[in-house]
Amino acid sequence: MKTSAFRSGIQTGIVFGVIIVTMFLIGFTVIGAELAGKFLGHDSGSSMPPQIYFVIFMILFGLWCGSSAAKRPLTGPDTWQAALSSGLFAGLLTGVISAVIALIFGTLAANKIDVRTYLVSVSPDSIKLYLLGLSPVVGSLLSLALLTVSSLAGAALALTLRTNTDVKSMFGRVTGAYTGTLHSNRVVSLSKNKYARFALLALAAAALIILPRTWGGYWNYVLGTVGIYIILGLGLNIITGWAGQLVIGYVAFFAVGAYTFSLLTAPMPHHLMWNFWIALILGVLAAGISGLLIGLPILNLRGDYLAIVTLGAAEIVRILLKSDLMTPFTAGPRGIRDVAGPTILGRSFTSDVDFMYLIIVAVLVVTFLAYRLQNSRTGKAWVAVNLDETVARATGINAYGSKLLALGLSAAVAGLAGALFASRNQFTGPDDHQLMVAINVICLVIVGGIGNIPGIFLGAFALKGLPEVLREIESYRMLVFGVLLIIMMKLRPEGFLPARRPALEKNTPPAEKTEAVSQPGKEV
Amino acid sequence: MKNISSSPMQAVLKSIRPAIGILISLFLVWRLFSEIVVERNFSADTWVRFGLSGLILGGMYALIAIGYTLVYGIMFMINFAHGEVMMLGAFGGYFTFELLRFIPAPTTADPELNFLNAYPVIAIILAFAVGIFISAMAGYFLEKIAYRPLRKAPRLILLITAIGASIFLQNLAMLLFGPQRKNVINPAILDRGAGWTIMVSGNPVLISYTGIFSLVLSSLLMIGLYILVMRTKFGRAMRAVAQDKNTAYLMGVDVDDVISKTFLISGVLAGAAGVMWDIHMGLVNHYIGFLPGIKAFTAAVMGGIGNIPGAMLGGMLLGILESIGPAALGIDFQLKDVIAFSVLVLVLIVRPSGILGEKLSEEKL
Repeated sequence: MKTSAFRSGIQTGIVFGVIIVTMFLIGFTVIGAELAGKFLGHDSGSSMPPQIYFVIFMILFGLWCGSSAAKRPLTGPDTWQAALSSGLFAGLLTGVISAVIALIFGTLAANKIDVRTYLVSVSPDSIKLYLLGLSPVVGSLLSLALLTVSSLAGAALALTLRTNTDVKSMFGRVTGAYTGTLHSNRVVSLSKNKYARFALLALAAAALIILPRTWGGYWNYVLGTVGIYIILGLGLNIITGWAGQLVIGYVAFFAVGAYTFSLLTAPMPHHLMWNFWIALILGVLAAGISGLLIGLPILNLRGDYLAIVTLGAAEIVRILLKSDLMTPFTAGPRGIRDVAGPTILGRSFTSDVDFMYLIIVAVLVVTFLAYRLQNSRTGKAWVAVNLDETVARATGINAYGSKLLALGLSAAVAGLAGALFASRNQFTGPDDHQLMVAINVICLVIVGGIGNIPGIFLGAFALKGLPEVLREIESYRMLVFGVLLIIMMKLRPEGFLPARRPALEKNTPPAEKTEAVSQPGKEV
Repeated sequence: MKNISSSPMQAVLKSIRPAIGILISLFLVWRLFSEIVVERNFSADTWVRFGLSGLILGGMYALIAIGYTLVYGIMFMINFAHGEVMMLGAFGGYFTFELLRFIPAPTTADPELNFLNAYPVIAIILAFAVGIFISAMAGYFLEKIAYRPLRKAPRLILLITAIGASIFLQNLAMLLFGPQRKNVINPAILDRGAGWTIMVSGNPVLISYTGIFSLVLSSLLMIGLYILVMRTKFGRAMRAVAQDKNTAYLMGVDVDDVISKTFLISGVLAGAAGVMWDIHMGLVNHYIGFLPGIKAFTAAVMGGIGNIPGAMLGGMLLGILESIGPAALGIDFQLKDVIAFSVLVLVLIVRPSGILGEKLSEEKL
């Protein structure tokens, strides 16, 4: 038994103790048990999940704890005793922390003190679940035993597998295998084959035509939202992914598009009732122009300022839309009702199926344009400006102008998404344009793969589609987003489907590449 | 970087920049003149009231803004989660008050008395200690867990990490303590309605104890920070790291340690601002850090980012602008949040380096 094993166990134990306490305090232990039940085919509905699933959840947690505690002694020259003792210490410490919390809250609950005034998520039921329905002392001792044993088992598991259980390497292996399949000879030759491509295209087209008719209103709604977020992601990708300028308040342009469109077509504040297509084009134009106006004074300054100014712009837009000052003009906090749907040759189509088609067409058009832009001179200029502005200027690129163009185009795409969103909901109001929309878009672009078009599709489906399937985690979604952003930036800043860069760039050693854009640090 | 710029658009922009500035200031002077001298919608006592609340608010903004400016000066990153650090400090102060309210401290005169009112000075000191400790720890661990592994990463990645941390902390607080607003119950000696009354042009103006308390405390903290940065050995190390990390490292400065402690200090100031927010504003929820955070960043940019006196000045100015702005410009009071962001945009258009000028090292200009 060495001190390094002891220390690694204690450190892991503290971290996992904090995690389990936080999970308990935000009520995630109940959700964890519910999810465990769901995966094992038991749907507990709105009632508390049975205690056996909570035991499973705790065992899984202990296994995770033990395997990560065993990680450091495993990678070093130490023996199996070190790994096991590290897992044991980690489990013991986590168990003690968990037991103390269980004891405190169990005693409080036994004395009929409701802590929900201060800690809203700690309900008597969740305390009861945590104690497995037993008395505080027995329950907390059981949780201690459970965590210790399962952590030891986790360490043993890591030891027997003898693999590196590091999250990063697992991440790398999974995505590596995926990318490997993507670029393997069979897939590449299949994608090069003309007939195969044609067949695939036909299959996809048939699916896109048939599916909206068959899968019903709910899925049309969910996937319509996903489609609108794909458009938003593709738009944000222009300025953030290619030109490398972070725009936090992207929702401002979304709002400009939605409101321009709605004001022109709705009967309420102005009774303009223009044609759908004219209003759509004007909405896109208005959003694009607002992007140019914001970019004009800011884009020649340091990059972070654009992030903050757009954030400010988003808040200004939302506050203005809600204010009394603008109420006669924009209908104030109540929003605009009866926004028009599209018409073609006099036939209006506003059913969800028709709208799904419209969104699919819009997504295809924007995707096509994005691909054309990516391979154009302009697109390459953006990437050049992103990678090294000084060098880009030296090669004759007008950095300011190309960034401005990127922001304008990006804002215009947001305007398109906003107009479609307003038209589909037949309503738009200030609450549709919360900052969270923009944060969602940033998340999906980054998680999917910044600068990469298929990555954005993946990100939109993962971030807007998955939460619909996993309804339990609805209220934890933003929390998970936050953690996801931090972890992504640490482990895989280029996203799940990273953009493919030109071969020349790949050959440069990564250290040299990062040094150009970061601070020189300690090792100099 | 400046020498290369030759695009016509930029040249035009550069030449019209002073013109825009003059136009805007002329417009503002005209609005001020017409509101204060011609229309006289508000009497002198109202202006004094606005000015006072602006100063108090400005003190808090200045404390938070210093945190932004310190971190930006050293790491060149916008610590987006700084507002959330302040929010955690505010929760620390709130829970200390709530806990002390439940501890009985009966005296013969009043058997119902609780600790909070029996020993108010100790209670306030405890609240500040807890709030500052929580915020300082939050800042310290934020740097250690989220930012340190990315020391060499591009700035966009750091900024996104900071946004992630901000979302995480905000939602964690919401899930822990619930989304509804909580009323902070102060000790009786710092009752929010109490204060001195002075007469201005025949009308009483209340100078609340909480306001004066916050203002004095924030001034003291700022003076303390200034002494720390300008007069101590650690302050010299900090300035050296801000100027040039490599040279500072060669001179024997522990750069990592300085960065850690910078986050600690900015957390301390944010925590103090958070508890002041408790005492003066009286409302806490998970969202209170967001707007003050962004406004304080605006203040830091306004004073010149990286510049500590600039952040103090910017914070005070922004607080005053925000509270007298709506009245002085004759616009709706709902729009006071718009003023801060408009100020940010205007500063960036007219004078991007801020009032007192940026203090950044060469490499990042």
